[in-house]
Amino acid sequence: MIEIKELTKIYKLTKKQMMERKTKKNMMKAVDNISLIASPGEIYGLLGPNGAGKTTALRCIATLLKPTQGSITVGGYDTVKESKNVRKKIGFLTNEIKLDPQFSPKYMLNFFGKLHGLDDETIEKRREELFEYFEIKGFENKKIDELSSGMKQKASIAVSLVHDPEIVIFDEPTTGLDIVTARNVTDYLKLLRDKGKTVIISTHIMTEAEKLCDRIGIIIKGNLVLEGSLDEIIKETNSNDLEDAFFELYKIHNKEGA
Amino acid sequence: MGVKNIIKKELSRVFTDKKLVISLFILPGVLIMVIYSIMGGLISKLEEDIDTHIPIVYIQNAPEDFKHTIDSIEYIGEIDYLSSSDSTEPVKDGILKGDIDLLVVFDEGFKQTIQDYSQPGDLIPEVRTFYNPSEEYSVAARGEFLSSVLNTYQQNLLVERIDNIELLQVFNIDIDPDKSIIVDESKASGKFLAMLLPFLMNIMLFQGAMGLGMDSITGEKERGTLASMLLSPIKRSEIVLGKLISLGILTGLSAVIYTVSVAIGLQNLSGGMGDIGSIKFTPVQMVQLFVLLIFLVYIYVSMVSLVAVYARTQKEAGTYVTPLYILVMLGSIMTMFSPGGSKETMHYAIPIYNGTITIQDLLVGELTMANFGITIGSLALLAFLITTCITKAFNSERVMFNA
Repeated sequence: MIEIKELTKIYKLTKKQMMERKTKKNMMKAVDNISLIASPGEIYGLLGPNGAGKTTALRCIATLLKPTQGSITVGGYDTVKESKNVRKKIGFLTNEIKLDPQFSPKYMLNFFGKLHGLDDETIEKRREELFEYFEIKGFENKKIDELSSGMKQKASIAVSLVHDPEIVIFDEPTTGLDIVTARNVTDYLKLLRDKGKTVIISTHIMTEAEKLCDRIGIIIKGNLVLEGSLDEIIKETNSNDLEDAFFELYKIHNKEGA
Repeated sequence: MGVKNIIKKELSRVFTDKKLVISLFILPGVLIMVIYSIMGGLISKLEEDIDTHIPIVYIQNAPEDFKHTIDSIEYIGEIDYLSSSDSTEPVKDGILKGDIDLLVVFDEGFKQTIQDYSQPGDLIPEVRTFYNPSEEYSVAARGEFLSSVLNTYQQNLLVERIDNIELLQVFNIDIDPDKSIIVDESKASGKFLAMLLPFLMNIMLFQGAMGLGMDSITGEKERGTLASMLLSPIKRSEIVLGKLISLGILTGLSAVIYTVSVAIGLQNLSGGMGDIGSIKFTPVQMVQLFVLLIFLVYIYVSMVSLVAVYARTQKEAGTYVTPLYILVMLGSIMTMFSPGGSKETMHYAIPIYNGTITIQDLLVGELTMANFGITIGSLALLAFLITTCITKAFNSERVMFNA
């Protein structure tokens, strides 16, 4: 279970960043007072445009960033005070975090398995399972550097799940993947959900959110503007599908304070 | 557990990459060996060349018996005699150009003036030598000519004037000069190496740490591979230690390879001056050197890492690390121009500089336990401070994620 209480994350901008953003403010509110709960056995999707604050929110959950205000508990542990325990329970995937290109998927899986304190036997078993599912077996000993981007992504996913985490946090998991691999990944996320894991993902792909997520939180300019199941969101916004609903909300909330 | 795994991974990252092994260890080693053997060879050749060179000497107004002196001592040299009417200008020109080594000019009526001397205040004639201090041959030719030819001639003339020359002698100094030299062979050759080695070792240690550290920390940050480690359930300090220790091992290894390459390269140097084997260490000294090197490696690696962790790109890291490099160079160069031993205790408390002077003292066998202790103490304190700073940086989201 992930419980976010009134999370606000403010970045301090350097002079260079202020120039780039053409702003005179030296602070930027990336996430503004968000509260949400993601429960075991469900896939929670954070839906929003680029720069809405999805990645920041996920990084706060994953203990990489500390909340400016508010708090987050993951599996009962506080992400600031008990970050090590949180990291034991989560599998985190994001585009900017990569595997060392010089090693093979097999080596990386073993390495991170050991950092998670797993014994050789468990690692071996997990490798069999994950590499089998993601069809990595054929290139498990190749350098990651030599793999295609789809293969790299699959290897990253497998490695992030080596310790069979209770909570899975995937930041735009299908970006850059072909349709077959993307399906492969989303199917696995469903499998994890069915096993009772808590899954939270971020996406800007409407169909992905529609088909995959049990509950969706729409995030615009750092604010969680609406939350609910697909049906609830469509009903609330009085629209035909998620895309219409999203643009309805975007029109309202993007203006505010802009 | 985490530390051990990270060290293992970092080491295998380097050793499974053939290109990296060649560019980090093999190529520099071979290059250093070649450079130093060429350098050593050239120095030896120069010394040998001066020894075998036959000096070209011009002598003006040479008295008749002076020529006998030259013959009798079998002076080796190409001698041309000039008369008082000959101009010395072309000869001086030749000395300036380095074609001629020495011009010796006797006063006119040299012998007569000496014979006419009868009481204090009478004229004493002069012999003038002209040479070029910037020409090795010329300097050597003058030295040799003064000590063997002019000295003997002066003695002969003294004997003519006062039969018993011993009247002037009063006492002798070192009749057998060879027997006067009391030297610890290992210390003597140590002196030369004590000048060069601390400098070289420092520079090489730092250079190794520089390349490796920037890649292992800034490079990983840039590639996004460091963050994956930050996500694992181990302490940040374990990651830092794992990184630093593995970097230390690699840097130490490269320093050993470089130093051995220098030693092999310098073996051509004449007089055994470059013979590293001639330095004898007691077991205690060996332990001291080992401990010191471990601390120095750790300090350099952590210094580079501290800079590397704050840099966003490797290019930026390169810019930041340059002033540090200059600092280390400065600390090392200072020992090149000062003899080993007898420094104020304060000096041993200055990190980096104390590393070089301690190595220097070790090489000449003058390191005291107290000074060694102060050096290690100050290095340990610095190591602790830097490691704490790096761990802080690893905990900072601003440094790690640009946030």
